[in-house]
Amino acid sequence: MRQLTYVRAETIDEAIAAHGRAGAQARYIAGGTTLYDLMKLGIEQPAHLIDIADIQGSERIDTNGDRLFFGAGARMADVAEDRVVRRDYPVLAESLAKAASQQLRNMASVGGNLLQRTRCPYFRNGAGGVYPCNKREPGTGCAAIGGLDRGQAVLGISESCTAVSPGDWPVALTALDAEILLSGPAGPRSVPVADFYLLPGGTPHLEFAIRPGEIVTGIAVPKTDAGRRSTYHKIRDRETYAFALASAAIALSMDGDRVRRAHVALGGVATRPWRARETEALLEGQRLTRERALAAGRAAFAGARPGTHNGFKVELGARTIADAVMIAAERNA
Amino acid sequence: MAFEPNPDRPRIDARDKVLGKALFAADREVPGLLHAMTVPAAIAKGAIEAIDAAAAARVPGVVRVFTWRDFADIRETPATRGGGGEVPGYQPMKRPAIRHRGEPVALVVAETLEAAIEGAEAVRIRYRASDFTGWHDRPGAEREPVQTDRSAGDAPRALAAAARSIDVTYDHPQQHHNPIEMISTTAAFVDGKIVVMEGTQNAAAFKFGLAGMLGQDPAMLEASSPYVGGGFGQKNQLQEQTALVVRAAMLLKRPVKLVMPRSQLFHTATYRPFSRHRMRIGASEAGKLEAVLYDVEQQNSRFDQYASAHGEHVSRMYATPNWRSTNHRVRIDVQSPAQQRAPHEHPSSYATECAYDELAYALGIDPLELRLRNDGAIDPISGKPFTSRRLAECLTRGAKRFGWDRRTHEPRSMRSKDGQLIGLGVAAGAYKASMAPAVARLRVAADGSSYLAVTGQEIGQGMRSAVAAELIDVLAIDPDRLEIAMGETAAAPQHLTAGSWGAASAAPAARAAALQLRERLVELVGAERANGPAHEVLARARRPFLEVEVSHRGLDQPEAVMDRLNRGLPAPAGPDYERFTAFSWIAHFAEVHVEPTTCRIRVPRVVSVCDCGRVLNHRTAISQVRGGVVWAFGAALREIGEVDPRFGRVLNNDLADYVLPVNADIGDIDVELLDEPDINLNISGAKGVGEVAMVGATAAIVNAVHHATGKRIRHLPIRIEDLL
Ligand SMILES: Cc1cc2nc3c(=O)[nH]c(=O)nc-3n(C[C@H](O)[C@H](O)[C@H](O)COP(=O)(O)OP(=O)(O)OC[C@H]3O[C@@H](n4cnc5c(N)ncnc54)[C@H](O)[C@@H]3O)c2cc1C
Ligand code: SF4
Repeated sequence: MRQLTYVRAETIDEAIAAHGRAGAQARYIAGGTTLYDLMKLGIEQPAHLIDIADIQGSERIDTNGDRLFFGAGARMADVAEDRVVRRDYPVLAESLAKAASQQLRNMASVGGNLLQRTRCPYFRNGAGGVYPCNKREPGTGCAAIGGLDRGQAVLGISESCTAVSPGDWPVALTALDAEILLSGPAGPRSVPVADFYLLPGGTPHLEFAIRPGEIVTGIAVPKTDAGRRSTYHKIRDRETYAFALASAAIALSMDGDRVRRAHVALGGVATRPWRARETEALLEGQRLTRERALAAGRAAFAGARPGTHNGFKVELGARTIADAVMIAAERNA
Repeated sequence: MAFEPNPDRPRIDARDKVLGKALFAADREVPGLLHAMTVPAAIAKGAIEAIDAAAAARVPGVVRVFTWRDFADIRETPATRGGGGEVPGYQPMKRPAIRHRGEPVALVVAETLEAAIEGAEAVRIRYRASDFTGWHDRPGAEREPVQTDRSAGDAPRALAAAARSIDVTYDHPQQHHNPIEMISTTAAFVDGKIVVMEGTQNAAAFKFGLAGMLGQDPAMLEASSPYVGGGFGQKNQLQEQTALVVRAAMLLKRPVKLVMPRSQLFHTATYRPFSRHRMRIGASEAGKLEAVLYDVEQQNSRFDQYASAHGEHVSRMYATPNWRSTNHRVRIDVQSPAQQRAPHEHPSSYATECAYDELAYALGIDPLELRLRNDGAIDPISGKPFTSRRLAECLTRGAKRFGWDRRTHEPRSMRSKDGQLIGLGVAAGAYKASMAPAVARLRVAADGSSYLAVTGQEIGQGMRSAVAAELIDVLAIDPDRLEIAMGETAAAPQHLTAGSWGAASAAPAARAAALQLRERLVELVGAERANGPAHEVLARARRPFLEVEVSHRGLDQPEAVMDRLNRGLPAPAGPDYERFTAFSWIAHFAEVHVEPTTCRIRVPRVVSVCDCGRVLNHRTAISQVRGGVVWAFGAALREIGEVDPRFGRVLNNDLADYVLPVNADIGDIDVELLDEPDINLNISGAKGVGEVAMVGATAAIVNAVHHATGKRIRHLPIRIEDLL
């Protein structure tokens, strides 16, 4: 067996200190649903695990102040089932409820969720070294480009990598302008979710704006009346237990029947959680019709660069946005 | 012979399975067990230049690293891997050559599974790669000559003369079985014999095929496979690792177990190959079939003989006076495909039943009506009558259950209240009614216990429940005190259980044994006192027990077939018998809803009506049909083995990316079994149900998608992008 050390931290400071002592080969572990999976696939090979699942208070959910707060250790299932979140921010609850399976949601943390890695099959099929992958082994090339690219991104891609950012929850957080709260050897800081995810560019192995040894402590979401008129609409290859082919997180503030403010983010189609500002601009100030919603959805894909088999994501993505906008608009504020 | 319908009864092994008492091969405890792990080849074709096992051997717990040099003496006999075929099969690790991606190139044996895995990851191999062909449309694919499969009349001429004709081509993708029970081999030593424990449909292959490969006397080998967690044809033969694990155990003189990881199974185990089906149909304006030309090509490995035999049932579906079917194989550098549930019948029914739907639309005839107009009592290929054929009844009863009469003919003409496009589709299927020889040893005791050893494999289909039904029917024995030995070469000769012949082979043998035991009771106590539960008769007669043994052959099978059984060779008969042709029949009706915007397809309801002869156990038979429909749903809308031809390898080789249906995908599946004994076929009146269950159901869904959307999609699976 490959040797590794394992420690349980009880406080954030203890975790950071343990990580500092262990060095580059250390990983925090929360629910383990991503990390153990990648270890079995031979993609992650940590030498030290620092278990943060038992950090006191890390599972705190607080919906009382002027922002929603989710401790990084809160379980996906607990946030998805939180009464206030479900009522006032269905986009958040649905993004979690439509992810993975109940068993996984019972284990997985909303902090670990932010750091899950792509489902690009060429990336995951790493053991044995058959497929070149710039993300797994920088500089080796990208097997997905020119290959079976049905699932690959059409937005935000580069010559080096077209892998989709897989998570649903980060898409909903992106729509609602969340902040990621971090703590590290140099103290606490916060990063807007929009800056937390990196485009692949020439360095697809760098995915998150997190520094060595830093720990996610929580997620803060500014409160907005758009939360009530919101939805996370996810289209996938089967009814449940699958990642998105295309998804849309929508939240709307309305003035009568006109859109005052639209929050639109996309999943399944882009290399990072994708804020669709073009769509937002076309919706704001307008009376909603399905045609208008569809036109606004199409605008999000003006810069799309499909490969061989994923061209359908452009039209599917636009229709997903349109359906989601109509679902959100019908919700009672 | 008049039969009382069997009452509803629970699956005889349900309790044991729920309690975890039914042990599957890899779950059995073996003292002193070593664990093995394979190293899969990283290239698709070429040679091994060097193997560096030093690091692997240094992993604590690793006992030995085996390479091709250790296994060079394993023989590729005509029965390699238990097929009993005419040419030797291919066994990896006999030579420093690679013939397909992922084949085992080293076997690491260790004291623990973890050490075996770590050792396997530490083996370094230097390859010399050669060019390979990864898909049938790539350079280097070797096209075999076209072979005529079946013909009747003069199909080309009749097609040319027909008033109306269509010419359509349907593609069927590669699919992988993925049974829940992983493929595994455990080799142990008991009383001086080698006992191989492996979930298999063919324990006989382990006694005889393996003996040939290892140069052993078959008497020194026994196979034990009392339960199988899903076979579906993937467990028809020895696996690529079987001989390697057994040889390793022999060399180490210790028991060894290997559970092949699922990701490797996509490259070592069998699968359903890609196939392309061209259908040309000629018909009269009134929809009478006049000619069918049906041509199939099927992808294959370079080295095995898996036939493309797609014409067998489709040629008998309808009264087609002029028929010609042909097959040809295209060979490329992959592991061998082989049977997967309804191996040829599922793809061929998909293609032909969709084509008949296209014909119905070309003629403006209701697709159900088209099928009824072409029903026939005589096999158009042989001119013989069918042992039984209630296809028309399946269609008409199914139509009624389903509410076919509310269907409007025009595509896109039906909508739900919430705006979904509704499509209703029909298709029919058949599967050969085969039988194989079987031996049954039955012992009934005065204390109420009984024991049956029989030829047959319990592969989850419910064969134990089927044979128990016969013992209960004839002898009124207590099922709770009945022990059934199946899949044990030490208990009775074993035969491949496949091709839906299992129940129709074992149940008649069990029934014959029960009838013989009843006769012995009559001899013992006289006809008047021999009635009632057999053990009570014995108790009254103060006889501790009675034992009988019978050999039962399939219809028209000669005495000599028992010799094949005793040598472990496949010996099924049918569907072409001396005086009859025999098939099970089924009709499927599917309702699909297509979302108009993002085009998600749902199947809220399927109705299936099946003529599978006498029903031995309603729960297991109905469950077979439901399972078959779920498979067909998966084939229609979910499953595909995605091969990247640049690498010659299945990319989605795990259950996360190989998209199978989940519970939330499956709607109501309403099953009716006609339960009419087929007395022409065997004394149990039984025909198969496990395979026919699936045949045609995919076409019903695809036809319903056309009815909903007006689109003919001629490949599978149908996905969102096909309808956007
Ligand atoms: C079969 C399957 C299906 C799935 N389907 C979906 C789906 O449909 N949609 C979806 O969105 N997700 C899906 N997921 C992903 C799932 O949501 C994530 O695996 C999960 O959210 C990760 O949380 P975790 O607590 O288990 O993380 P872990 O596995 O414990 O950690 C993940 C990563 O984050 C790091 N980490 C964890 N917590 C912290 C922290 N507080 N600070 C810093 N680093 C940290 C770890 O070091 C590790 O690198 C699926 C997963 C599986 C296995
Ligand atoms: S798309 Fe990215 S993750 Fe996928 S193979 Fe290419 S480089 Fe690797």
